[in-house]
Amino acid sequence: MDQAISAQSLTKKFGRREVLHGVDFAVEAGSVFGVIGPNGAGKTTTMRCLLDIIRPTSGQVRVLGKDPRAGGPELRRRIGYLPGELFLEGRVTGRTLLAHYQAISGPVPPGRIEDLAERLGLDLDRHTRKLSKGNKQKLGLVQAFMHDPELLVLDEPTSGLDPLVQQEFHAMVREAQHNGQTIFLSSHVLSEVQQTADTVAILRDGRIIAVESVSGLREGAVRRVRFTAIGITAHDAGALLAGVPGVGHVEVLESGGSITLTATLEGAIQPLVRALGTLELTDLVLAEPDLEESVLKMYSSPADAGPDDTEQREAVR
Amino acid sequence: MSTTLPLFRRAFLDSWRSTTAWAAALAGATFLYLPLYPSIGGSTEMQGMIDSLPAEMTKALNYDQIATGPGYTQATLFGLLGFLLMTIASVGWGAAAVGGDEESGQLELTLAHGVTRVQVVLERALSLFLRVVLLAALVFAMVRLLNDSAHLAIRPDNLFGAAVLFAGLALLSGTTALCAGAMSGRRTYGLAAGAAVGVLGYTFNAVGRQSEDVGWLLNLSPYHWAYGNSPVVNGADWAAAGWIWGISAALVAVAAFSVDRRDVGT
Repeated sequence: MDQAISAQSLTKKFGRREVLHGVDFAVEAGSVFGVIGPNGAGKTTTMRCLLDIIRPTSGQVRVLGKDPRAGGPELRRRIGYLPGELFLEGRVTGRTLLAHYQAISGPVPPGRIEDLAERLGLDLDRHTRKLSKGNKQKLGLVQAFMHDPELLVLDEPTSGLDPLVQQEFHAMVREAQHNGQTIFLSSHVLSEVQQTADTVAILRDGRIIAVESVSGLREGAVRRVRFTAIGITAHDAGALLAGVPGVGHVEVLESGGSITLTATLEGAIQPLVRALGTLELTDLVLAEPDLEESVLKMYSSPADAGPDDTEQREAVR
Repeated sequence: MSTTLPLFRRAFLDSWRSTTAWAAALAGATFLYLPLYPSIGGSTEMQGMIDSLPAEMTKALNYDQIATGPGYTQATLFGLLGFLLMTIASVGWGAAAVGGDEESGQLELTLAHGVTRVQVVLERALSLFLRVVLLAALVFAMVRLLNDSAHLAIRPDNLFGAAVLFAGLALLSGTTALCAGAMSGRRTYGLAAGAAVGVLGYTFNAVGRQSEDVGWLLNLSPYHWAYGNSPVVNGADWAAAGWIWGISAALVAVAAFSVDRRDVGT
């Protein structure tokens, strides 16, 4: 089985309102696939279709090779699901609640729940309804991961988690992938997904508008470069950089015998490094590419580009 | 992993506080009413007072029969306060079982696991059924306990039949609530439908007993189906019991069918 999930022309109508207008994507088995898009784009609806919580109006869905509805409980035992909004209201402890979910999901290895809870810093003996949002989210993650399912479907998994726990979550995702599990997760911001995902799909208004590999995004991404050098004039430095392919937006500041140059770099790094090798550098920063920016280029049609780019960006965030 | 009836166990065990509270309330009602029988129902002054009340009122409250121990128990406990408490408990549990769980967002996560929707409805209905039966059994046991000391002289087989109808009547409201909640995904609709069955059943009985002209209302009243012949006094109408329990079972089946065919949590 090469594809853990595939969706073809998936549509969903609630009454007369159509929220998915023909969604197509495929998730390779063993990969980490991120769906990003603003709230209301259809991420949650898509995920619920995979779990047979809602039924598509038309189109075909295959999860681990099966139709979600026909697959029934046996299929869902092989999946770990974290809902986008997690409600846990019972007057029970986390341990009791997890024991219940354990009874209705795939087999959980002994000690696995305690291990996961410890990693995430979750107290299993507290009553669930007294837990903070972040701690409820941890409980939700434990129930999704505990039976080491073949497929994890995680709707906004890092929401409510503090940065340290987010790091731990990313480590859990990488381990799961290492074990051959497939992870399908969503977020409304790319920065959360880019650390773990191999591929990202951008969902907007019920349509997938782009599917890109994260490494592809990185290659096509624009980096910022800044360096300080001595023994060269601003003019010469500018001319040197202008000869390097992919370099743009060159700005040079000269002060007290040294120059500080900033520029953008699109594409390969090697030619730039070679050019810089001839200089006497006192400082060099080559920033990690901002994938968000590359994605935003896709989000906005050419007509939107220009002065209101920043607004566009805020809106998407 | 191989726990049998995991959803039933959770629904039943997690609600033990509520079950205990309703059991305490029913025990309170039983111990409040029944020991008073020798001084109220059986006394001649009381009978004189009841005779002086408007006939419509005694009929509406079923107080026309409280001169005997079984009649008194039928009218006060099974017909009034016990009926009220059991119906409220059953409707609350029924509305919460599926509709309430869906509305609070928790059903989605349960259904994402290795269970079928029909299984969820049936196991939760079983939990409702067992809790109602437990409460009815408690009332049965307490009436037996007080039978001699309160001079009630109730035949055990009649009491048993009354308890079966008592449970069935409450369960009918509860399964209506479960069914309406399951069909709509809303707890409030379940509560409204369940309460409607209880309240209208009681009202149709009270009004229908007033005269021949409105007697047809009795046919629409589950309360009258169950209690029309005063089961504590005369023994259960087992055909009526069969109907009441059968309709409950059908309502659960409708609930399971409905939840199985629709989107959840939308």
